[in-house]
Formats: sequence, C-alpha cells, structure tokens
Amino acid sequence: MDVFLQQIVNGLSLGGIYALIALGYTMVYGIIELINFAHGDVYTFGTFTSLAVLTGLGVSGEVHGPWLIGVVALTIVASMLTCGALGVLIELLAYRRLRKAPRLAPLITAIGVSFILENVMQLWRGPSPIPFPQVIPNPSASLGGVEISAKQVVVVALAVVMMVALQLFIYNTKIGKAMRATAQDRDAAQLMGINVNTTIMVTFLVGSALAGAAGFVSGVYYGTTWFFNGFEAGLKAFTAAVLGGIGNIFGAMLGGFSIGLIEAIATQYIPQGAQWSNVVVFSVLVLVLIFRPSGLLGESLPEKV
Amino acid sequence: MNRTGGFARCAVLTAVAFLAACSSSPTSTTSSQSSSASATGATIKIGIDMPLSGADAATGIPTRNGSVMAIEETNAKGVPGGFTFVAYDLDDAVQGAHDPAQGAQNVKSFIADPAVLAMVGPFNSSVAQAEIPDTNDAGLAQISPATTNPGLTKGDEAAKLRTSHPDVNNFFRVCTTDDRQGAAGAQFARKLGLKKAFIVDDNETYGKGLADVFETQFKADGGTVLGHEHLTKGQTDYKALLTKAHALAPDMIFYGGTTVTGGALLRKQMGDTGLGAVAFLGGDGISDDEFIKSSGESANGVYYTVAAPETSKLPSATTFVANYKKRWKSDVGPYSANAYAATMIEIAAIEKAAAANGGALPARDAVLKLVAATHGFASPIGTIGFDKNGDTTAPILSVYRIEHAKPVFVEQISLKV
Repeated sequence: MDVFLQQIVNGLSLGGIYALIALGYTMVYGIIELINFAHGDVYTFGTFTSLAVLTGLGVSGEVHGPWLIGVVALTIVASMLTCGALGVLIELLAYRRLRKAPRLAPLITAIGVSFILENVMQLWRGPSPIPFPQVIPNPSASLGGVEISAKQVVVVALAVVMMVALQLFIYNTKIGKAMRATAQDRDAAQLMGINVNTTIMVTFLVGSALAGAAGFVSGVYYGTTWFFNGFEAGLKAFTAAVLGGIGNIFGAMLGGFSIGLIEAIATQYIPQGAQWSNVVVFSVLVLVLIFRPSGLLGESLPEKV
Repeated sequence: MNRTGGFARCAVLTAVAFLAACSSSPTSTTSSQSSSASATGATIKIGIDMPLSGADAATGIPTRNGSVMAIEETNAKGVPGGFTFVAYDLDDAVQGAHDPAQGAQNVKSFIADPAVLAMVGPFNSSVAQAEIPDTNDAGLAQISPATTNPGLTKGDEAAKLRTSHPDVNNFFRVCTTDDRQGAAGAQFARKLGLKKAFIVDDNETYGKGLADVFETQFKADGGTVLGHEHLTKGQTDYKALLTKAHALAPDMIFYGGTTVTGGALLRKQMGDTGLGAVAFLGGDGISDDEFIKSSGESANGVYYTVAAPETSKLPSATTFVANYKKRWKSDVGPYSANAYAATMIEIAAIEKAAAANGGALPARDAVLKLVAATHGFASPIGTIGFDKNGDTTAPILSVYRIEHAKPVFVEQISLKV
C-alpha cells in the first residue's frame, strides 16, 4: 500500500510537469487549431534561460530565507518573459503568414521551428546534459510511509495554480473574452471589432510564458537538462492535451496528471514496467479516443480556448 | 531518433568525395620516426592506423607512440636476417574526429604497399567495422589495441564483416570487450559483499549487453537479482522505477548504459527515492566527466569498470612505463601498452615467418597464421593469447570509484576465460 501511495505521489509530480506544458499546447490549438510542435522546445528554452539567469546571479546551490523568494521570483519571471517573447516571435515569423494556408503547412513549419530551436540550444550549451542548480531546499516529509518532497509539492501546486489563473484569465478578462470569440469564429470576431492578430499573439505569449515557468520548475525538479529535453516531454504533454480534450484548459491538466499516474502505476505493477509504461499510456489514449473522440472533456464544454 | 546523424552522414560523404578526388596521389602523411635506422636487408613495414588529429589525438597519439616504441626497440636489438622494421602510420581522423571512411582508405594504402606485413589499429570500433572487410580480403593481420565492441569478433555481426574469407579471422585485439565488463562488475560487486542487485539498462546494444552479462555472472557467483528493467529512450523521470526498486530493498543498483542514456539522472534520482546510500555500479559508459558534472554530489561513491588495465598500476608494465616516459617525455596513455603489446606480437610472428621462409620476406598469410596461433606471449599487459574469435584470453579490467568528483583507481580484475 505504501508503495502504491508513493507511486501516486511520483505520478502526480510527473503529471504536474506534463500538465504545465500541456496548457500551452491546448491554448494554441484551441484558438488556431495548430499543433504547435515547437512548444516542447520553448519549454526547454525556459530551462536554459532559467539556468542562464541563475548563473548570472551567481546561484549554484540551495538558497535560503528571503533570498529564496527573490531568486525564484526573478528567475521564473525572466524565464516566462523570455519564453513569452520567443512564442510571439515564432508566431510572427513562422505561423502568421500561413494562417490561411492548408493546415498541413503550419504543422510542418512547427516541426521545422522545433528543429531550429533544438539546434540553437545545442549550439548554445552543447550536446551533453547540463547540471541545474538545486535552488529550492528539498526537505521531505514522511506521511505514513510515503515520502513527499518539497519539490514535488511545488510542481503539483504550481500546475494547479497556473491552471486556475489561466481559467480566470480566459473567463474574466476582456482579452480572455476576445480569445474565446476568436476561437469560436475568427471572421465573426473580426467583424465585431476584435483585433484577431493581437489576440492570437497574446495566446502565444501566455502559452509560451507557461512553458517558461514549466522549464524553470523541471530544471529544479530534475537538477539537469539538455537541449533535447523538450522532445519527449512535448510529446507526452501533447498526448495529455489530446487525452483531456484538446482546447480544454481543465482537460489539459486532467490529461497531464492521468498520464503521469498511468506511467508510475504501470512501471510499478507490470513486469519490465519501465519499458512498457509508454505502451500502456498510448493504449489508454487509443481506448479513450475510440469511445470519446474529442478526449475526456472535449465535448462537455461548448467553448474552446 | 538520431538527429545529428544527417550531419554526420553528410560529413562522411564529403570526406569520401574528397578522397576520391585525390586518390590518384598516394596519401603522404607518413611521419615515421624510425625509418632512418640503417639496414642491410629489406624493410618490413607495420601499418599503424590511429586518430592522430583533433579531439581523438589526446588518446590516439600516445597509442601510436606505444606501437612506434616497439618497432624502435626491435630495431635497436637487431632483427635476424638483417631486416629493418618501419612504422607506417596514418591518421584516420577527418575534421577533428575519427572517421570510418578515412580508416578504410588508410587500410587500402597499407594493402597496396607489399612491404606492409601486418597492421596495428584502429582505435575506434566504428572504424574497425569499415576496415575489417578490406583487411580480410587482403589476408592482412590486424591487431587493435582499443576497440571494445563485442560484434567485431563475435557472432553473426563479426562473420558479416569477413566478407571475402568468412572462415579466416584476421582481426585480433589485446583489449577486452564491453560485455566482459559486466562479468568483471559482478565479480567486483560480490567481492564488496553485495548480495541483492537491481539491474537497469538503457536497452541499447552496449548497455543491454553489459547488463545481461552482469546478471548471469552475479547469479552464478551466488548473488540475487531482484529485477532487471530497461529504460525508454528520452525518458527523464525514473522515480517510479526507483520506487519500485526501493520496495525490493536492493543493496546495489547495476546500470548498463551511458551517461546520456540515463546514467546521470538515474544516480541523481536515487537520492530522491531513498536509495541514496545504495551502491551504484556501471561500465565505462559512465566513465566520462559528463557523468560527474551531471550527477553532481551524488556521483561520489559510484563505481565503474573500464575494459583496460590501469597500466601505471600493473607490475608487469613498470619497465614499459619508465621507457615510455624516457622516449616520449610524456605520461603513458591508457592504451599505449596495448599498442606496444600488439606490435610486439606482430613482430614476433613476422620474425618467425621469415625464419620459416629461409630468411626471405614472408607472405602475409604466413604471418597471419602465426599471429592467430599466439599464446603465452609475455607483454607489459600480461600474458596474451588469442581465442578462436581473435580476442585476448587474459583480459584485465580495472575498477574506479568516484571520490570528491574525481575517479580514483580501485583495483584490477583478471578474468578467467
């Protein structure tokens, strides 16, 4: 039982990282129906930016006291801003001109952007794994035989907070309303005086900024990164978004946590589980899509962003 | 998915095109230090193929030097029949890294020169794969001091490399193979008193091979294997796997793989899952600086094996190490003694073949037969013989432990084959 609960904890924290990345996927898909394959690499870029900021601040290990909040806040904001700007730039250069092109064209462009980012990061920091400073002290508490570490709590909490903040942003602000309108019918929204270009740009800004936050958190959580990190994480996060119902914010989080949990449980209870966990994850995905083609929460909400 | 593959292929193609363009003029990078020795008889050349420029030069040049030293010592002693040995050394590095196509080209140069009766090299397994079909065709004896891929000598893979004469093996090595590291690791772990192992590998040829051999040997030595799991490529979170391992209470984790395919992350996350104090043992895939950098503090205490002896600690190599320092004014490289031994084996075979041929220049296949029959040959790296595959019968491996972010030599392990 202890082991089972421990795997639930492992799965939730892994799922938290997936969920943070999946939010960005789902936002972009919701508004322009583009699977932004570069999103996983924007997330890695966030880790690299965070690393550069921490190096600039001279931080190489745990930080304590009030400094901790300052360092974390500064790094996370810098990473979110940089990634947000990168997302806007990608949209401007690679996707905007293709908005009226057949859907396959921007999809291929997205893969191209992904390659470019990976290679830029490889040139920047080399092809080897890079250690990431363990900024946050990591005491762990034992609850009835289950070890929960501070970092795991941070990951899950951040994923939930970001999801709620995003939900509030979309349903309670003017720009959020514009995003929902653009998602429903771009032409009609434009006729109503909504600046579609700005709205899409904001979507990329917010989605990529979330990837920046996820990048920082995963750097701290794993203590290492490399240029290719975003490939696998991006693929899983995309799967999470599809599983939850792509375009649905809450669905992205649900999908992220589900995949994390399935991976952890499959690893524990299937012989040679580490090798088979992906097979289980994608089998579940296939089954869900057979019975609910638009994902777990895809149909329950009429509006998608 | 190997995204750098395209670029590498491109570089190889460019190199091939370049070589084709200048193949009319023979490669003239011969820079043998020993060719000036005066001799009354014919010269016999020993081909030496090593990476001598770029990043690989750091290990390639000391290896070449070991081979050249063997030739110089032989000439100084005097060769029966008045022959003089000459080192014919070529660089297989292109644009700073060892290159299989260049290696194959070098071997063609050796084969085209009738004075070349045997060769030493190459340094890298990928280069050997490109060279063996040519040397097999020419019946040229080839001894490598450093290639450790098991497929070069064993099984179907090796048979496929011997394209012209599948039944004649002409490729030998004085180093041992990757898979024997698994056996050495198991022996060492049992010696440390470790009984319950959980095995993890990266599911690649090298890593899985290592882990499978470890499992067999560890069980044979009375240890218990609690589980054997394979990592998925690209995975970065091993906490679920390590929690599973933790529940089985192992006293060691064996890892078959490299730093990048999961070694560093696995070691790091052991600390997060209550396995921080459990022993961690791997092969030379984690013997790089990257492992120490990426796993940080948790690297300390990690053991790993290397498929070569630590020459400076080997009693039989004392004289060689002293002579090497005198001759080259630098420290001996990890494979210098191997190259020295490989060259000495070839020289002995050539001298014997010449004697059998009435003192005349022997044929390559006569030399090859004698090299293949080598047994009980005393060398700085121990008494060497070749088995039917061409592998050494007296493999010596070494174990290192990482302390204060530096590898520290622990001990040599001699395997009985």
